[in-house]
Amino acid sequence: MNLARVRKKERIGERFVLLEIEDRDIATQAQPGQFVMVRPFEGVYDPLLPRPFAILRAEGNCFAILFEIVGRGTSLLSRLEPGNELYVLGPLGRGFSLEAPSAILIAGGRGIVPLVFLALELTKRATPFSFFLGVRERKELALLRILDGISEISWSCEERVTGGFCGTVLELFKKHFDATLKGDVRIYACGPEGMLQALSKILTGREETTEVSLEARMGCGFGVCLGCAIPRRDGGYWHVCSDGPVFKLSEVVL
Amino acid sequence: MNLSVHLGRLVLQNPVVLTSGTCGYGKEMQPYLDLNSLGAITVKGLSLFPWPGNPPPRIWETKAGLLNSIGLENKGVERFLEEDLPFLEGLTTRVFVNIWGRTVDEYVAVARKLNEVKRIDALELNLSCPNVEKGGATFIADLEVLKRLVGEVRAATEKFLIAKLGPQVCDWETTVALLEEGGVEALSITNSFPALVIDVERMDFVFALKTAGLSGPAIKPLALKMVYDLVGITKLPVIGMGGITTAEDALEFLLVGAKAVGIGTASLVVPSSAIRVLEGIKQYLFRKGITDVEEIIGKVR
Ligand SMILES: Cc1cc2nc3c(=O)[nH]c(=O)nc-3n(C[C@H](O)[C@H](O)[C@H](O)COP(=O)(O)OP(=O)(O)OC[C@H]3O[C@@H](n4cnc5c(N)ncnc54)[C@H](O)[C@@H]3O)c2cc1C
Ligand SMILES: Cc1cc2nc3c(=O)[nH]c(=O)nc-3n(C[C@H](O)[C@H](O)[C@H](O)COP(=O)(O)O)c2cc1C
Ligand code: FES
Repeated sequence: MNLARVRKKERIGERFVLLEIEDRDIATQAQPGQFVMVRPFEGVYDPLLPRPFAILRAEGNCFAILFEIVGRGTSLLSRLEPGNELYVLGPLGRGFSLEAPSAILIAGGRGIVPLVFLALELTKRATPFSFFLGVRERKELALLRILDGISEISWSCEERVTGGFCGTVLELFKKHFDATLKGDVRIYACGPEGMLQALSKILTGREETTEVSLEARMGCGFGVCLGCAIPRRDGGYWHVCSDGPVFKLSEVVL
Repeated sequence: MNLSVHLGRLVLQNPVVLTSGTCGYGKEMQPYLDLNSLGAITVKGLSLFPWPGNPPPRIWETKAGLLNSIGLENKGVERFLEEDLPFLEGLTTRVFVNIWGRTVDEYVAVARKLNEVKRIDALELNLSCPNVEKGGATFIADLEVLKRLVGEVRAATEKFLIAKLGPQVCDWETTVALLEEGGVEALSITNSFPALVIDVERMDFVFALKTAGLSGPAIKPLALKMVYDLVGITKLPVIGMGGITTAEDALEFLLVGAKAVGIGTASLVVPSSAIRVLEGIKQYLFRKGITDVEEIIGKVR
């Protein structure tokens, strides 16, 4: 774990916080889909374990994470201010495959995070892609802000709003399905379990070319505790931190 | 300054050991700390065949502690020898291998296989796992089976033999006498504590197997007392563990008589914890003007 410094902090809507963190090693090595383990303070025993967060972007000496405040760990992290120190370990895990003739990115809620990093990389590589973001509540649309500079975005919201599609991101995706799914396309998705389960039903037959980024409760984040198990398609378990967090749809049971 | 400690015929260059299950098979730790600077590392509990372990969730946090229900997942002794031994061959530190079985015969088979491997310095018997021939009762709580287990493993290996104890021990004095007579050369204590947690939102048990093992700072004072008591009733060297996070924690264990200390859950929180503990022990000895770490072992009895 390295001691690193918070460079910038931004509140995004009511529930999300973006932290830009200075750590040259992580910033220069990070790949889209990889994550970091983060601990807000030294010597804190509650929570005891560091928390995993996907990398939102990395540039120069800095990388960023974006998290939803859901419990004690994220609430402590949300209190950090620029100049404060925190502990980080990473980059960890196996990220997205970057070779794709064209791509579709499907994000649900905070699942947007690793896909933003991927979209930035695909843009650099001039790989054509479409980005679908779905949120439940109107106020989560604040997340659209972090998509500045990324083109080809469609979004949906389950509450009625103007300017976007009303419904789930998968309903939105299905509307475009015919047009976008022609040709050689790789699909990348990250979001709540229910969304990924529904997606896997829509995408039968495309399991080899679809990649999903998954979450699990983690102990260590680097492969020693075997705590982050999820079932494999062919029996036994994967470890999300070291075999993933990105898996082909064909490898996992959702 | 002398940091080396004598565990009977086995000498460790210093008293800080990585415990089983929190340092993988060894090489996963390499990016985060210099394994050669430690007293020993203990490989994840191995069984005769690969074992898938328990369904998720396997980890749950409690205040200052961690409940785990890993279910002894491991790649089995054969794959370990193929995939991980070559890395360990390149190390100079002591290598302990934790082993378990569902039956006495399985323990013996694993011990026999590892006996042939020069690089391995010691075998540690995890005695807190269920015996399938006895309806899942733990080996440590069944003195008759325990006697047979220790006797047969001892006959199968010349390796330095450690028995790992946990809170399930019923009759401490009889158990310790049995282990001593059976040829065990050191005792490590403690494994995690059987514990329970309920998910109030779902109104259900968190873990599929209901109970799980509690480790981390929350158990430290309990573990320390176990070490203190055990040192009082055995002549075998004791490796103390349970919730050690800082050098001060480790020193408490040494002062009550542990010859070495194990760092477990702390490695999950900060992978280089063991190095920090070791550095802190050195600073303490320096500050106190003590030149040999063995001078403080058992000073508080
Ligand atoms: C590889 C990976 C990448 C992640 N990336 C992000 C990200 O970019 N942004 C983000 O906001 N969150 C991300 N998460 C989820 C994040 O780690 C959890 O929300 C966080 O650990 C909760 O900590 P807490 O102490 O605030 O909550 P707790 O008090 O521990 O729990 C509060 C709630 O969060 C759930 N939870 C706890 N731990 C996890 C976990 N590891 N995974 C999923 N749910 C959990 C619990 O079930 C509970 O409902 C990621 C998780 C993983 C495994
Ligand atoms: C994730 C995890 C896995 C463990 N696996 C094993 C194991 O395979 N064999 C064993 O004897 N002990 C195992 N243990 C117990 C530890 O080695 C140690 O005895 C216990 O956790 C107490 O020390 P600690 O509080 O420092 O972690 C495991 C503990 C944890 C947290
Ligand atoms: S979190 Fe420890 S092995 Fe994945």
